[in-house]
Amino acid sequence: MARMTIDGKEYDVDPKLTIIQAAAENGIEIPHFCWHPSLSVAGNCRMCLVEVEKMPKLAIACATQVADGMIVKTESERAIKARQAVMEFLLINHPLDCPICDEAGECKLQDYSYKYSIGYSRFEEDKVHKPKRVELGPHVMLDVERCIMCSRCIRFSDEIAKQPVLTFTQRGDHVVLTTFPGTKLDNPYSMNVIELCPVGALTSTDFRFKSRVWEMSSTESVCPGCARGCNMQIWVRNNQILRQTPRLNEEVNSYWMCDAGRLNTYKPVNSPQRLKAPMVRKDGALVEVGWDEAIAKAASELKSFKKNELAALASAYATNEDNYVFLRFVREVLGTKNLDFVRHVVEGDEDELLIRADKTPNSTGLKLLGVGPMEGGRDLTGIIQGIKEGVIRALYILEDDVASVPEIAAVLPNLQLLVVHSSIQNKTTEYADVVLSASTYAERHGTFTNFLGRVQRIRPAVATLEHDRALDGFAMSRWDKFASHNDRWGRPMKRDARPTWRILTALAGALGTKFRYNTSEEVFKEITERVPAFKGLSYAKLGSGGVTIQLREQAAVPAS
Amino acid sequence: MERLILPDIKDLHKLDVYEAHGGYSALRKALGMKPEEVTDEVKKSNLRGRGGACFPTGLKWTFMPKQTNKPKYLCVNGDESEPGTFKDRQIFEFNPHLLIEGTIIACYAMGITTAYLYIRGEYGKWIRMMQKAVDDAYAKGYIGKNILGTEFSTELVIHKGAGAYICGEESALMNSIEGERGYPRVKPPFPAQYGLWGCPTTINNVETISNVPIIINRGWEWYSKIGAPKHPGPILVGVSGHVNKPGVYEMPTGVPLLEIIYKYAGGVPGNKAIKAVIPGGSSTPILRGDQLEGVCMDADSMKAAGSAVGTAGLIVMDEDTDLIQVIARISKFYHHESCGQCTPCREGTGWLHKILDRFVAGEGTKEDIDLLMEIANNIEGNTICALGDAAAWPVQSMIRRFRDEFERRVARRTAPVVEAVSA
Repeated sequence: MARMTIDGKEYDVDPKLTIIQAAAENGIEIPHFCWHPSLSVAGNCRMCLVEVEKMPKLAIACATQVADGMIVKTESERAIKARQAVMEFLLINHPLDCPICDEAGECKLQDYSYKYSIGYSRFEEDKVHKPKRVELGPHVMLDVERCIMCSRCIRFSDEIAKQPVLTFTQRGDHVVLTTFPGTKLDNPYSMNVIELCPVGALTSTDFRFKSRVWEMSSTESVCPGCARGCNMQIWVRNNQILRQTPRLNEEVNSYWMCDAGRLNTYKPVNSPQRLKAPMVRKDGALVEVGWDEAIAKAASELKSFKKNELAALASAYATNEDNYVFLRFVREVLGTKNLDFVRHVVEGDEDELLIRADKTPNSTGLKLLGVGPMEGGRDLTGIIQGIKEGVIRALYILEDDVASVPEIAAVLPNLQLLVVHSSIQNKTTEYADVVLSASTYAERHGTFTNFLGRVQRIRPAVATLEHDRALDGFAMSRWDKFASHNDRWGRPMKRDARPTWRILTALAGALGTKFRYNTSEEVFKEITERVPAFKGLSYAKLGSGGVTIQLREQAAVPAS
Repeated sequence: MERLILPDIKDLHKLDVYEAHGGYSALRKALGMKPEEVTDEVKKSNLRGRGGACFPTGLKWTFMPKQTNKPKYLCVNGDESEPGTFKDRQIFEFNPHLLIEGTIIACYAMGITTAYLYIRGEYGKWIRMMQKAVDDAYAKGYIGKNILGTEFSTELVIHKGAGAYICGEESALMNSIEGERGYPRVKPPFPAQYGLWGCPTTINNVETISNVPIIINRGWEWYSKIGAPKHPGPILVGVSGHVNKPGVYEMPTGVPLLEIIYKYAGGVPGNKAIKAVIPGGSSTPILRGDQLEGVCMDADSMKAAGSAVGTAGLIVMDEDTDLIQVIARISKFYHHESCGQCTPCREGTGWLHKILDRFVAGEGTKEDIDLLMEIANNIEGNTICALGDAAAWPVQSMIRRFRDEFERRVARRTAPVVEAVSA
């Protein structure tokens, strides 16, 4: 340990650290642009210049290793003056187009301008002009005039994404960020440069110009795109998801997230194909009905089959809570032993960084809960075979477009009853007799268990009919807080969807079995009491980063 | 004084002529010594770098790790891009084998098996001349495997620069050799620990290395008595600007500037007064013509006068010189050559240049003078490499020593034009 002093206070720090790291570990932010904890040190922005006793010149905190007895002053006159100088230099050629810049509100340059600059400019010359709309790749747009040449994006592409296509050309204040000739910024992680960019130089082609950042609420959640479960923020305005961004979790995804996770997972939530209400088949067509009618219809239909004529498919897209309640529902209400779930593994579509071949967020959770055929029951192959042979006549499916699997699609027309939980119209709902409109990952509480056994919470960011943003403790944007009744954004469109565990609780009741769950947290509490792998956990303990549990070879079977 | 680096011998650039005048005898002598003894000799000679910083060469060599499993490298810096500097070119043209001999001796002293000679790309002719000399030296066994029949082997590769001033900065030079963008590196780590390809590296200027065979041949004691005691040896001074005989002159260190101008360079055309002198290449602080008395071309004297030896590129400006144009042009150079990596230099050099261009156009204001000074102060010392300082010093010194020139420019614009009105 080295004993050092920062601004008059003494700290014991690891001597291998740099000043900026040592300060960060002790909760002191030394202002910086180019430094990033997960990237190599570039030392180019000069924002972190601090005074170090016995050093003749100011030192950059990002590249100066601490030493025993080192005395660092971040607030000395010289350090303050240097920071002000750097801010002034950075701003002279910066467009100052904050009113139309996507980054405004979450811009390091803007924030630091308030904190560390002198507040006015002495620059009266013409600014340097550079290319304004450069498509670096399919998802990232570059405005070179806004670029402060911190090189974070270049280092990310080289060091993390391993696709070294970005570089600077030209010199001095004419430096231009660009891709090497014949290349594009097109890799599975390309969009991470958008958050890394401390200014509005790199923006998302998907998100740009859609919203000021303060008009959106941001909700801590987990990406449902694969078994990694990257921690993320869901950004919502007017009850619509506008973007998803990664959230730091060193145990899972560090600062990163893949482009597919950001874009492909939220599009179905906003989709016009979303179900607006439950539906039942009348005269051959699916018709929107109320929940009471849908539940009554499902109950009466299900009652008309023998237990061994029924089969059930759980879903690795649904939460632990949903699948746990489903497990009880299948066992105690339907009484069938034919239970399984469909694996969605895309062989080869995986890498060493984040992306997993298993495209579902909760298959590990299902294994731990013991979702699978019960003794003497049929597994997925058996269920398909049974439907083909006409032995299985009714199927109950949770949130999974199983008809996307050709072998399953082929047998679905043989069924006499197909009950489906779904949030969206898809191939499977086309075959369904009763469709119970389920809320999406963005509209409910719950937990996923990732492939490493990390149990992580998702939280509702989009409100359904049953929600009130304020009363239900949603994250609130400025608009959410201050919109009046006359404002369009004060009356956003809400869909009539419910979480699967709640739908199942209602249906169990209609079939004569009482499940006493009012919240997903109550379901989780029961899981922790009955499934050994989850023992000792609680929503409070999971917090925002989740908890890793011991993965066992043998899945535990809950005692009912 | 006897000319040691550029002796007056016809066709000395040819290997046989060089050999006939004792060439490569220093190499032979050095190979008979222990490597540490060679380093020691250079250390005791008090040779200081001729690339601008005047750092003790022998001391620099001792920074190289003795025990390492990595290859070690020598980079000989012939990027020579500082305005007013054209001395290394003379060595390439007139005494290339002295440079080669010095390079091989330096390699031997530091246990280096590959040396790079980095020459600025604009020196096409001199690169070809140098390559010819290197090829000849290879053919004669002065470079390559088992030099002069000893166990020692080393390679010498000429690397051509691509036209960026910044590549003369030692760490940018290494990046350039590696094929990377010419960006200076953040130090530490220093080149002796982590240099070219991440291996221990020493970077020496062409003229510095050319002094090495002389030291080995004549001994440190003899050498250290040449010129200024704390900064001894012969030095190539490039004189340009308003002198009758511009050119490169070899002389001992410590010669008074006035002697250089009037004796070596033949004085100022038309016997005009000297308004100002830039003593060591465009980055060194400018000196007033009336403060030159007693100022000599060595590190201590120059420091005392408020400037630096730099690359000993002396630019003389007579009384009719428009110093505002001079400083605007110098600032344009540093604006153009700033690599753009770190903020103060990237943004500040352009700002200085733009303001100074306004002064040239007669549109500067009194406040601009102080602003120029503050911008320069904000660049100085806050950058990754010394280019920021190099851009700041001329501006600072120009304002400090010639503020009246700036003020006159301001006055020219603001003085009301009064015409006589007849009653």
